[in-house]
Amino acid sequence: MSDAKVVLRATGLQRRFRMGQETVEILRGADLTLRAGESVAIMGRSGAGKSTLLHLLGLLDRPDGGTLELDGTPTQALSRAARARLRNRLVGFVFQFYHLLPELTALENTLLPKLIACGPFAWPGRRRAARAEALALLAELGLADRAGHRPGKLSGGERQRVAIARALVQRPRVLLCDEPTGNLDERTSDVIADQLFDLSHRHGTTLVLVTHDRELAGRASRQALLHEGRLDQAPAAEPGFEAEKAAPAPLQSSP
Amino acid sequence: MPPARRARRRGPEVYRPFLATRYLLARPVSWLAMAAIGIGVAALITVVSVMNGFLRDTMAFVRGTTADVLVLPAQGAGGGRSASREDFERVVREHPGVAAVCSRLVRPAVVKVHGAANLYLNDTQAGDVNFVNVLGIEPADEARHSDLLKYLRQVELPHLRVREVGEADAADPPRAPDPARLFALDRQAIRDRSLANADLPRILIGEERMAGLGLSPGDAVELVTLPDDVDFGSQSLASRTGTFVIAGAFRSGKYEFDMQSMFVTREAFRDWTATRQELSEMAVTARDPRQLDQLRDQLAQGLRAAGLDASVMTWQDRHRIYLSAVKVERNILSIVLAFFVLLTCTLTFSMLTMMVQEKVRDIGILSALGAPSLGVGAVFSTCGLFVAGAGGLIGFVLGEALARNVDPIKQWIRDVSGIEIFPSNVYAFKTLPSEVNTALDAAIVLATVVFAGIICMVPAWRAARLDPVEALRHE
Repeated sequence: MSDAKVVLRATGLQRRFRMGQETVEILRGADLTLRAGESVAIMGRSGAGKSTLLHLLGLLDRPDGGTLELDGTPTQALSRAARARLRNRLVGFVFQFYHLLPELTALENTLLPKLIACGPFAWPGRRRAARAEALALLAELGLADRAGHRPGKLSGGERQRVAIARALVQRPRVLLCDEPTGNLDERTSDVIADQLFDLSHRHGTTLVLVTHDRELAGRASRQALLHEGRLDQAPAAEPGFEAEKAAPAPLQSSP
Repeated sequence: MPPARRARRRGPEVYRPFLATRYLLARPVSWLAMAAIGIGVAALITVVSVMNGFLRDTMAFVRGTTADVLVLPAQGAGGGRSASREDFERVVREHPGVAAVCSRLVRPAVVKVHGAANLYLNDTQAGDVNFVNVLGIEPADEARHSDLLKYLRQVELPHLRVREVGEADAADPPRAPDPARLFALDRQAIRDRSLANADLPRILIGEERMAGLGLSPGDAVELVTLPDDVDFGSQSLASRTGTFVIAGAFRSGKYEFDMQSMFVTREAFRDWTATRQELSEMAVTARDPRQLDQLRDQLAQGLRAAGLDASVMTWQDRHRIYLSAVKVERNILSIVLAFFVLLTCTLTFSMLTMMVQEKVRDIGILSALGAPSLGVGAVFSTCGLFVAGAGGLIGFVLGEALARNVDPIKQWIRDVSGIEIFPSNVYAFKTLPSEVNTALDAAIVLATVVFAGIICMVPAWRAARLDPVEALRHE
């Protein structure tokens, strides 16, 4: 594991937000190094900055300090457009509330990252291959017969699986999941978690999970606790980690 | 090679039109905006076409009743006597740009039905004031160079038509008309009437005027005018009265001209008025009708050099106020409708503004999937351009179809509802005119799309400026 290629190296990430008169320091120097095929679960209290960290790692947001290398490319100096291109190629996002586009079918939602990367003249040549790839991915997630459905006609679990397919369709190096099972019932959560780990393992994708679910976190190869703006990478004995247990994981049945 | 470099210069990515279409198809309001732009553009195209046709036909018939260039000898200091017809004709004919000249005598007169007891000077019915302009013409010149023959053929009521002219024309159109027949009496048409009138001098009068007087060819009219040397100080005004028999009716299409003009021969005119005047106006036909202003200036110069006092004007100068009124009408209507089109374009603006507000989270998602912010904005401006483009296209097709078929549509409305939206006796035209200018219509559509494109930049820019992290949190 230790000789695998480093796909993500974050050092001293800082992020501040202005709240009226005050400046809130959410991240005060978070470090994280991820190698290919690794998986890490990031835990922490609500408001600890887990989502903020995820947004920074996924180039959706810029840090106020620190450096971030993605697949060997330093990202601080890149333009917005270049960061968007890197995000499209290297990063997949899975959100708690699925975030599918309601006007598009499951297949079209899955194809969206490919559509974003492709010019209109190249598309007719690539369309067939891209569709086949997306359909294969949906089939792997057990959604072969759902490809033509709009999100409104799908259950919560199915929607999240479409979101996972969409996140993986560009074969990203890093899959960033923000509470991927947070909105699903226990049984569905288990299935989704199985598929998430299984797929990222098979595709060699590095997995970053933000979760409140200890069981889910336990399946990751590493755990980290986001506490006071820093990442503690060996949190087993940390009291804050135990405190997290008391916080009820949102359990609700899928709509 | 790093992926950032590999992916350089992708151009407009395919998701923009793809998402734009999906967004639009899912929203009925986009169809509404499209229809509104279409109707606006169609209305603008139709009105511009009709007004241009109106202007074209107006110019054509104003022109038809007026010569290319008019030479009016001054009536002032020298009096009529100094204006020798030969002098004027020599100077004017000399000019290489002049194709033909018709010299005329003109005299205002009061008309009354022969034998009627009274003159109704203030007859309010149909605005039927009995003042007319009597033109003394040279039949040969007029038949060759003016539109008088054409007007004689355009008479609608068959019993008023001058038969010889019409029939000769129908049988053998290109033959040069026989000027001798211009004032010929159709004895067949007047066989029921007394033939006593047949020996009177002949006159041609407007169809409307003849109908207003309740007369037909073969009937006689009296013209009353004042002699050359009127002594306005005397107790009783001497007047000159002439009796003429109607040889035929004409219809120029211009109501005022038909009501106010009557034609007699030059000889009959001089017998009636006993005038010493030789020339009232000269109708000049130009060789090149596009260079009338130049011809006017050169003729004026030439006449001045020859010591002849006259004013020279083109037909457009003569009807400047009337023509500019029609132009102003066209321009105002076009401006009003152009504003209407702009208004419909703002519908696209509000549609997009609502769409951007509704789609804040989608904007965040698209950013998370790697869409650049300008690309996300472009999704929305593409929406606006699609709506404006499709609306413009609908308007173009609809407008062209309407503008090319205004007359059948007018007929259809009359047949179905009985409403005459374009009464031909109010306007001078029998059909609703329309001049379709496809290039102009295409320019209208283009301007609409460009304007819509510009105002769609505002919501699109707003979408592009959204912070993706904020957008993802948006509920």
